[in-house]
Amino acid sequence: MLSRPRTAFFVTVLACLPITLATQQRAAADPQIPDDSRPDIVLTLSGGQRPLVRLAIPTAGFGGTASTEGATAVREIEGTVRADLDSSRIFVIQGASELAALQLTGDDARDRELYRSLGNEVVLHMDLQEEAGRLVLEGRVVDLESGQTVLGKRYRGEFPLARRIAHTLADEVVQYFSQRPGIALSTIAFVSDRQAPYEEKEIYLMDYDGWNQRPITAHRSLSLAPDWSPDGQLLAYVTYVRGSPGIFVADFQSNGEKRALVTDGTLNSSPSFAPDGRRFVITRSTGGSAEIYAGDLGGGALRQLTYSPGIDTSPAWSPSGREIAFTSSRSGSPQIYVMDSEGANLRRISTVGSYNDGAAWSPDGTRLVYASRRNGTFNIAITDLVTLETSLVTGGRSSDESPAYSPDGRKIAFASSRSYSRRRETQIYVVDVDGANLKQLTSEGNNYSPAWSRRRP
Amino acid sequence: MSRTRMLSAIGLVGLSLVIMGCPKKAPEPVPPPPPPPVTVPPPQEVAPPPPVVDETPDPWSGEIEEINRMIVEQGLVGDVYYDFDKFDLRPDAREQLAKNAQFIRQHPNFRFTVEGHCDERGTNEYNITLGQGRSSAAVGYLQSLGVANGMRTISYGEERPVCTQSGESCWQRNRRARFIVTGK
Repeated sequence: MLSRPRTAFFVTVLACLPITLATQQRAAADPQIPDDSRPDIVLTLSGGQRPLVRLAIPTAGFGGTASTEGATAVREIEGTVRADLDSSRIFVIQGASELAALQLTGDDARDRELYRSLGNEVVLHMDLQEEAGRLVLEGRVVDLESGQTVLGKRYRGEFPLARRIAHTLADEVVQYFSQRPGIALSTIAFVSDRQAPYEEKEIYLMDYDGWNQRPITAHRSLSLAPDWSPDGQLLAYVTYVRGSPGIFVADFQSNGEKRALVTDGTLNSSPSFAPDGRRFVITRSTGGSAEIYAGDLGGGALRQLTYSPGIDTSPAWSPSGREIAFTSSRSGSPQIYVMDSEGANLRRISTVGSYNDGAAWSPDGTRLVYASRRNGTFNIAITDLVTLETSLVTGGRSSDESPAYSPDGRKIAFASSRSYSRRRETQIYVVDVDGANLKQLTSEGNNYSPAWSRRRP
Repeated sequence: MSRTRMLSAIGLVGLSLVIMGCPKKAPEPVPPPPPPPVTVPPPQEVAPPPPVVDETPDPWSGEIEEINRMIVEQGLVGDVYYDFDKFDLRPDAREQLAKNAQFIRQHPNFRFTVEGHCDERGTNEYNITLGQGRSSAAVGYLQSLGVANGMRTISYGEERPVCTQSGESCWQRNRRARFIVTGK
């Protein structure tokens, strides 16, 4: 019933949309962000054909002792679920404040009518309990027309896991209504100099919403350019810990243990995993020009894929495994190319911009996102690989680079200098592919090169 | 080989002549000392003369840090500069490299590391390879000038700027190849 679009319903959604968006923009607007550097908001209804689902989220019930810990957990879970569902852009949500005027009776049928009277289609009930020092969250999605519970989930965990429990419920709700996995449990790897600004850089992880930032390397060196294996178990990165830049891998199946992958030669950089999680591509130089090489985690000789006297770098293996996007200066300026995984069938992708680099594939393999230099500054651009049409995701005068798609292909994380005032500063942001919902995720030190995991390690 | 042996034999004969002559003069009380025996045979036939001990210390014999400090202070080896997004050598870069080559040739035992650096304007990822191109171009030119010292290249991309302000004067200072002595 919910998946069938109804004309009358659709009109209602459109009429209400500006209110919701205004709220989201206010939430996203950071006081540090100057207005002229914000991307233009070009709104299209998310998902194209699918109408938004009108969802009521009343205040969560709390059935345990009124401990401070419990009260904090309730607020945290409510806020996290709300933010996750807002961020998915498949709902129009009425939360506690919008529902405050309703005189709820406690009678299910009567209360459903009250929720419906405000235009809601479904309601998400959340009930928390404290059991033996642990948190229990029960989430129920009820169809307001039929009264049926269409989704019911129960989670149990320690209090520090409250946000993770909330993300898990939110992903289930998103999956139910959109038939695709949510991204609230995905992880972003990035580079930060916060421990020794402008001196050392370490690899960090954070939740997709910027929470829970923690270092995973302690090389006390320059560590750069992380890339996830598709299963989220391995993270390849560049580090100078042995002098020359070499490729290391952190293995989350072995407690995040680090091991050297390719360290000989004068330069090894820009690792990217193949979808099989075994093969990888890197940029490499043994004294001559930098070229793209392919290798295998199991060992064996590296295979050279490009031969050009200029620079070839920033390889990215396609989700299908058949192609590799990369940057080459062979035309005289850095531009984006795609070749097959054997190095043949080269074609140029970027046609606008004097300097394009850092291509990343959309999860469905139909688009490339990259940093494109226009009028002296980098913006984030997306090129459709079928039509070769290019659109800009960000604008303004700040430098935006190192874009990475979210696992659902609907958001892009990137590094930007847009927040700096007196001193140049680089931070990580997330924005929807249509330029809406810009959100700053980092603020401590400088932060670079986000890499978005497909799954949580 | 045989020539060396022959010279040694001549030297030995000369020495034995001197030794044989000594006993005659032995009974005389406190004679003036004889001239040093080495002056008797042709000196080059005995052994090469001991190296001349220069009392002034070699200014380049210190620690590597000290050497690098002196090179900078005396302007003996300088940074080589590049255009934005380029690793081609400009005329001023070739001049600087020729000047660097003079000092580097005079110290064939010094091993150099040539660092490639970039300004902040390119992307971090591309700049790592661009910096490698810059250091390789500098080393390649030195080799074409006949410099045979050991040279290692490394790129820091835009990760180790010498100047952190925005503006062309600062950016130019960061688009460079830097020479440091890292071994001898």
